[in-house]
Amino acid sequence: MTTDKLAIRGGLTRRQVFLLSGGAALAGAMGLPAFAQDAARAGGVLKVVAPSNPSSLDPATGGSGFDHSFLWTIYDTLVEWDYDTLLPRPGLAQWAFPDPRTMVLDIAPDVLFHDGTPLDAEAVKFNLERGRDDERSNIKADLVNVETVTVTGPLQVTLGLKSPDSALPAILSDRAGMMVSPASIAEHGANSNRNPVGCGPWKFVSWTDNDRIVVTRNETYRHASRPSLDGIEFVIIPETATGLRSVTSGGNDMIYQVPARLKPALDRASSVQQFVAPTLACVKFYLNYGRAPFDNLKVRQALNFAIDREAFVAAALAGVGEPAAMLLPKAHWAYDASLVDLYPYDPDRARALLAEAGHADGLELNLGGYNDQDQVLRSEIMQAQLEKAGFKPRFTRGTLPEISAQFYGAEKKFDALLSLWTGRPDPSMTYESLFGAGSYYNAGRTADPALTELLARSREVEAMEDRARAFADVQRNVMENALTVPIAFQYEVSGLSRGFDGYQPNLLGKPRFDAIHLV
Amino acid sequence: MSLSRNGRAIRRRLVQTVPVVILATFIVFALLKLVPGDVAVTLAGDNASEQRIAEIRALYGLDRPFLVQYLGWLGNAVQGDLSRSLLSSEAVRDSIARAFPNTLLLVVMALVLALVIGIPLGVIAASRRDGWLDRAFMAFASVGVAVPNFWLGMLLVSTFALRLNWFPATGAVPLSVDPGSALAHAFLPALALAAGGVAEVMRQLRASLVEILSSQHVRTLHAKGLSPAAILWRHGLKNVSVNLLTVIGLLFNRLLAATVVVEAVFAIPGMGGLVVNAALNRDFPVVQGVVLVMVLVVVAVNLLTDILYSTFDPRVR
Amino acid sequence: MSAPAPAALPPSLPRLVLNWLRQDKRGALGLGFLLLLALISVLAPWIAPYSPTEQDFSAIFAPPSADHWLGADDLGRDTLSRLIDGGRASLYASFLAVGISALIGVPVGLIAGYLGGWVDEMISRVIDSFLSFPAIVLAIAVTGALGIGLTNGMIAVGIVFAPQLARLVRARTLVVRNELYVDSVRCFGAPTPQILWRHVLPNTIQPVIVQITLLLAAALLAEASLSFLGLGIQPPDASWGSMLARAYQNMEIAPEQMYPPGIMILLTALAFNLLGESLREALDPTMKGH
Repeated sequence: MTTDKLAIRGGLTRRQVFLLSGGAALAGAMGLPAFAQDAARAGGVLKVVAPSNPSSLDPATGGSGFDHSFLWTIYDTLVEWDYDTLLPRPGLAQWAFPDPRTMVLDIAPDVLFHDGTPLDAEAVKFNLERGRDDERSNIKADLVNVETVTVTGPLQVTLGLKSPDSALPAILSDRAGMMVSPASIAEHGANSNRNPVGCGPWKFVSWTDNDRIVVTRNETYRHASRPSLDGIEFVIIPETATGLRSVTSGGNDMIYQVPARLKPALDRASSVQQFVAPTLACVKFYLNYGRAPFDNLKVRQALNFAIDREAFVAAALAGVGEPAAMLLPKAHWAYDASLVDLYPYDPDRARALLAEAGHADGLELNLGGYNDQDQVLRSEIMQAQLEKAGFKPRFTRGTLPEISAQFYGAEKKFDALLSLWTGRPDPSMTYESLFGAGSYYNAGRTADPALTELLARSREVEAMEDRARAFADVQRNVMENALTVPIAFQYEVSGLSRGFDGYQPNLLGKPRFDAIHLV
Repeated sequence: MSLSRNGRAIRRRLVQTVPVVILATFIVFALLKLVPGDVAVTLAGDNASEQRIAEIRALYGLDRPFLVQYLGWLGNAVQGDLSRSLLSSEAVRDSIARAFPNTLLLVVMALVLALVIGIPLGVIAASRRDGWLDRAFMAFASVGVAVPNFWLGMLLVSTFALRLNWFPATGAVPLSVDPGSALAHAFLPALALAAGGVAEVMRQLRASLVEILSSQHVRTLHAKGLSPAAILWRHGLKNVSVNLLTVIGLLFNRLLAATVVVEAVFAIPGMGGLVVNAALNRDFPVVQGVVLVMVLVVVAVNLLTDILYSTFDPRVR
Repeated sequence: MSAPAPAALPPSLPRLVLNWLRQDKRGALGLGFLLLLALISVLAPWIAPYSPTEQDFSAIFAPPSADHWLGADDLGRDTLSRLIDGGRASLYASFLAVGISALIGVPVGLIAGYLGGWVDEMISRVIDSFLSFPAIVLAIAVTGALGIGLTNGMIAVGIVFAPQLARLVRARTLVVRNELYVDSVRCFGAPTPQILWRHVLPNTIQPVIVQITLLLAAALLAEASLSFLGLGIQPPDASWGSMLARAYQNMEIAPEQMYPPGIMILLTALAFNLLGESLREALDPTMKGH
């Protein structure tokens, strides 16, 4: 990774330098939002409709892929990324690899947490060790490769790694890199979930369950001219149609993660502007390939051939999405076009494969699905398609936490789970989490040694082209072995009232509100 | 009317309510506990080891014997401590304090609408007994009782909120924050809820009034030349007020139970939404707390209705 | 108080029924509609134009047309076929729920009313408890225990309705118990179960029949509510309640899908109610006017 040579120590970020030098247009070309500089348009409270209650507002203890939009308002991360490609960029810190097993973080000066305590090397060390070691931490796997964390200067931390890890910068743009005030952890202890203190653009005010989360401007934010909004009010409405109605009728200002099938309603609302953009969110079947029937390669391949991905995109996503041939979408820097035709839609071939595997009379499948409206719709489409290909699928539905726990946890109740992978900043995180031996999201808990080696290689090389090639190998191994059944990528569909502007979607599909301003 | 006898009856009723309340919460607790499926697994979240799950079970007292858990909860509840939600750690008392006013506003508004619409219609129907107006109103009442109120809610939202924009489509605003907006938000859902109530009020009123109209006293008044309408308004309603009170009491409780689905249609953060969410997610403390409050309300309203009925109805001894 | 009715109905039952239907239009209307509905439900596999679960992505949200008389839903499934199939599910659901409530409620009410004393006190308190908390919570709790699905949901509804029926049966039993007729039989030393079955039950049956008919309407609405909340019938099967839920989600895109299932629920509940009221008047002329 090249070190950003521009002086963060001087108090200017690369972004600010660019903007001051008239680089706003350049910023857009770089996949960054053009932050409004005009103070006259500052202010306003944005009422955002959120589809679910967060699991926790403490980044280390939460578990849902949907928490990030709440968390990013309160916490800044050590590393940030380009909105369009997710390439990592310096955030609260710059990083460098003096040698493959050492990572040096240089922390931006004069950054204060919302409680007034400073973000210094000790605070960063506290956070990283907490993420790795604390019993309540859910991100241990992200930091398992970090052996030592040493303070080597008032604003410098050095990490000793067990093995070379070029994925670490991207990892530090996710939960593991969200900096929490050590003083607040000391004060709140186990109640940190509901008392978040970070150094982000807004600070926490209140959280009433399944109802509202309120954040207000951080007056001491490290970027002087940001944020533009005085505050954000998240209104939690799980029923997406109802939530959309509240925005089109003017009650709320913004809604994200609008299911594509509701896009026509958004099209008709003249007071709301639409944003449609690709994301990493992949609708897929998670397979338990540690036991029958999916321990048989032919059965897994049959499932891949049985799915008409184009029809799924048309019916379930109203055409707003793309079929998935692997776990990365077209826009991603590690996308590999050679895998696209591996599993065309071919129910006859699926039937033949099932017969070869000994299931000529059909194969009963015990599938898990969630009970919210979109998941129900998708499971119905899947059921019809699978039945045509010789399977006998039966869905058991329940709430997301319950069914997930039943599939991934000790019970191992289902053969497969129809769900969504929200995506990770670095592809290695995705493949590790889904197919690594002993990983939670790998229900079978077993891994092909060849795959493990390929994954390790992707973390050893630094240059992006080399990494892309390493990932191509990983993806080929995963798809030829049909370890999973990717179906389609969701596109982000968001609506913003015309009283506001400046929103820019990102490839991760988890909205950030930093650049939104009043019109 | 014997006061001491009434007092004894009332005291007896009061005493009877205690086991009823306890039994109700016990039944719900038992049912939720019978459920296969472990809330500890859900709480532990992703990546949880068996040890972590066991820790959580111990942390929330989920591994203690069933009766111990229940009595523990009951002991706390009696002192006003309704414990915390398992999933969000919010105090149940706070969740209920937030949700109950929204539901109450809805129910009271529905009740008022039922009376404001139902009473005049009932009076008119009784005064024009067996005429075409009476028959039309009674047919309307039959429909009102049969219509699914969440469907009515859907129709109302579709027409008045989405197409005409006269009312907001979703949500609720607390009365204390903005009374005008609160009433605007509650109007359509209350109307949907009130349909069955209007029908009930209409019918009960008409039946009681018809009975009175044919009584001797009224026939004398009629012979003296007073019109049926005047008789009804001046003498009839006074006598039916008792019946009306009992109807109101019963209606209140039925509406309370019926708000659940209507709240879902209109995305109102009330008791219904709270308890459905909690039950689906096996969040025991919240379900227990909400059930306790609702049972107390229902029992109190029933008691009040009985007391008023026995106090004011001269026929009851 | 009128003289106790004889335990057995008069022999000319068919004629009684015909007379009743001829006199009371409501009863005829209600019964006729329900019989028609039952007929359609039985003939469903032959008269429905499509399979209720057949998806057709080219017909998503199709408006009413010659191909799809009532249009199609969000997966291109024919609404009319689903409506007919849904009718079967909804009717089955109502009868199941009421059957269970009768199975539980009638014996409980009989026992409480006949035995009296502390048995009655205890049972009455339990009944009061069940009646005092929101029915939906009980339904959710029971479906949670038994598993989500139409049958389990309706068992839950049956359990919820049982106390109402028990209370009614108990009240009638109290009255009947004290009638001379029964006392005289008891004096002859007949065993209690025989007394309950042969003498008490037939005399309580009339208001019970009426109440059952009215409960059928309530059960229908309860099924619709449960399915609306996602707790009743499971996709891809249809019931009127689940069709309403889908229509609600797609309200802006295809509002006309709200009408077929809603109207059917309304008409069927109305039919049950009309039948019940008509029966009430026919079986006990002194209760006319309310």
